[in-house]
Amino acid sequence: MSPQFSVAQSPHSICPASYKRCTLNVIPQTQAVLTKTKLPFGLIVTPYRSLLPGEEPVPVINPPQIVRCRRCRTYINPWVQFVEQGTRWKCNMCFLTNEVPGFFDWDTDARQQVDRMKRAELTHSVVEYIAPQEYMVRPPQPVVMLFVIDVSFAAVQSGMVDIVCKTILEHLDSIPNSDGRTKVAFIAVDSSLHFFNLNVSFSDDSLLFPNHNLVVSDIEDAFLPLPEDLLVTLTESRLVIEKLLSNLPNLFRQTKNSQNALGRALQIGFKMISAIGGKIVVFQGSLPNLSEGGLKPREDPKLLGTPKEVTLLQPSNHFYKGQYIDIATLTGLSRVTGGGTWYYPSFNVSNPQDTAKFSAELHNFFARPLALEAVLRVRASKGIRMTRFHGNFFLRSTDLLALPAVNPDNSYGIEMEIQDPLGSSSACFQTALLHTNSNGERRIRVLTLTVPVTDTLGDIYTGADQYAIATLLAKKGIEKCLSSHIESARDEMVSRLCDIINSYKAAFTSSGQNSMLILPENLKLLPLLIMSTLKHIAFRTSGVIPSDVRSFAHAMMCVYSTESFVPNVHPRFWALHTMDSLAGTVDEATGQVIFPTVLNLSSEKLERHGLYLMDNGTDIFVWWDAPLPRNFVGSFLDSHSDGIVPGKTTLPQLPNDWSKREDGDANLRMLFLSHLMEDKLDSGNSYPLFWDTLGRS
Amino acid sequence: MNGEAWLFLFAIVMAAVLLFTMVFFIIMFSDLECDYINPIDLCNKLNQFVLPENIGHAILAFIFLFNGAWVSLLLNLPLVAFNANKILNHRHTYDATEIFKTLPQHKKECFFKLAFYLLSFFFYLYCMIVGLLAEPIKPRH
Repeated sequence: MSPQFSVAQSPHSICPASYKRCTLNVIPQTQAVLTKTKLPFGLIVTPYRSLLPGEEPVPVINPPQIVRCRRCRTYINPWVQFVEQGTRWKCNMCFLTNEVPGFFDWDTDARQQVDRMKRAELTHSVVEYIAPQEYMVRPPQPVVMLFVIDVSFAAVQSGMVDIVCKTILEHLDSIPNSDGRTKVAFIAVDSSLHFFNLNVSFSDDSLLFPNHNLVVSDIEDAFLPLPEDLLVTLTESRLVIEKLLSNLPNLFRQTKNSQNALGRALQIGFKMISAIGGKIVVFQGSLPNLSEGGLKPREDPKLLGTPKEVTLLQPSNHFYKGQYIDIATLTGLSRVTGGGTWYYPSFNVSNPQDTAKFSAELHNFFARPLALEAVLRVRASKGIRMTRFHGNFFLRSTDLLALPAVNPDNSYGIEMEIQDPLGSSSACFQTALLHTNSNGERRIRVLTLTVPVTDTLGDIYTGADQYAIATLLAKKGIEKCLSSHIESARDEMVSRLCDIINSYKAAFTSSGQNSMLILPENLKLLPLLIMSTLKHIAFRTSGVIPSDVRSFAHAMMCVYSTESFVPNVHPRFWALHTMDSLAGTVDEATGQVIFPTVLNLSSEKLERHGLYLMDNGTDIFVWWDAPLPRNFVGSFLDSHSDGIVPGKTTLPQLPNDWSKREDGDANLRMLFLSHLMEDKLDSGNSYPLFWDTLGRS
Repeated sequence: MNGEAWLFLFAIVMAAVLLFTMVFFIIMFSDLECDYINPIDLCNKLNQFVLPENIGHAILAFIFLFNGAWVSLLLNLPLVAFNANKILNHRHTYDATEIFKTLPQHKKECFFKLAFYLLSFFFYLYCMIVGLLAEPIKPRH
């Protein structure tokens, strides 16, 4: 929609696609037409995404009253209409006319006329309201963080405990604590639960008892030893906490205990913070194997690559609704609580790259905006119904997602259908996220997206968003993977793609005209995206992917926004040796960095003596074939040519990157080659062959 | 009244009770759809009734077995097996986190059971009447 049609004609009336995008930028009037196109109809919403550098923050407004439609409770937005000389506004969802409140035109404090068209709620599609009392069931909660640290033998040996304590200690300042109310608590788990008295008064005798360590070993009947002093205010007990974190690794250095009762710890932890609510951060280095929620190792190499593999990917135990630690079951915990999962395969503290990546990501985790006790509701124009939601949340009613903590990286996929024919010329989708931010303020973030409605088939195809379609299909595929098996999810994606191509062909070519596969310009990349998705670790048919890695890929796929999904399935690939002199510098006209030309992901592009860079959003690969000039290596990788270790390494300023050398690690070579999506890989067809199979079906 | 009539009288009562349980389940599901109840409360409430319902049905089947009512037993066996299979696989309880995804399936299952109990209600009624009629008419003095 052009901003001209919005009420204030402001350029900000258009909802940025990074917040919310619809698979169809032009939607049909009826379900019949929609079914005919075979295109999936849905939204990808990333309501709390982190701001990019240089981006303007979301406008925060605090009107005397939040203006909403009387009937459908839609928030006033840039796409409403003013009627009756501007005394009433017509809701763009249910078309009811509502009173315009007086403060829109008259500022009672300053006693003067104001221009309503300057109000942020009428000019911006993304706004944040400061919520008044009616939107709270209780005063905004403080930030609460409970750290559950695995101190069993495996975790201590891998050095996880050391690095966790060290990193938390370093980043205590980045824990959101602007109002000084932030509370923290620690529980260490092996076969018993260790609690720590963090009361300020204990800092004095700390020489004798570094921290009052309370052990509850009878985990079957666990209780909270000291209800008050376990959860403490970060500001007050800062010294005690610092002392605890520096002593904790030593406390368990000699442990021989290989058991872990995570389940019980979570139950107790829940009891501890349930009065306030908050975030539980679990660091797990081994498989929880004791008591409630105990798991058994299920990894069985024999099952990999067989249809039975799915049994490993399904949670074995319904308790968690996060070496082998059964990601498939443990992610269940974050899946229903709106959280996230990070997985470090074969983590070892002796590897500095691992620790750097962990530390950087943990820092990121603390520093990013935090929203708690949130609910997310999606409203759409009359006639449109939400049918399915994908992502990490707890579905509290048919259209209300409960998010105990909002993870900014998480996006939510919503499938929709058209129940009744749409009457107006545009349809509107409004997402409202009611949350408590880390400053202890109750806020509502409202995102409004408007798309035109049409009855011509051609417009629907030319308005389709191939990236959003691929994201939504992948999310649907993950659900299919978990409920039946990977093969059927793959089949479903391919057949959906064929359906789209065939229905387009049926609608726009006369019979027998040509048998070529044709697609409109903006859907040209869809087959490539689908094929790359099928070759992604989450869907690849292969007998060598450990189920933890696979499950982690599934968990990530569930929460990817379109922006992170696309590079992840189809990495960006550049040839650095042929780039022109301007590339890599900042274009003065636009202020953007000029990138070299992106290459196709095919090994025919790899020349001898070439230097290539590939980026998939989480890892960066550097590929070279011949000995490189010494000065280049020095300037590029910030190390000496002979000092480069093949394997994971960190580029200056770019944490968590991998670099790779031709004669280096064979696994890394495979990993790089597996990202060349247009090539044949294992059982996956090359791109031309894939087209061929599409044509035949 | 003879033994067979008593047996089917009991079966009728049992079928009526099971019938009402299913009606209750269906009402609760539609309440969930209309947002009158939240999924956690719903699941806590319904899960209390799942096992009694299954056990009640199993008891009925056992009584048929011991009384040699083979036709009725045969009719009930598939459902007993279905329930037992669910319990053995730990799939018999409702999961609040998945309830919206699985709701259509649960509703279908409940409607199917409802129809089954209704039909078996009339079948037992018929059997009871047949049993009563089969009683030898006592000669009048």
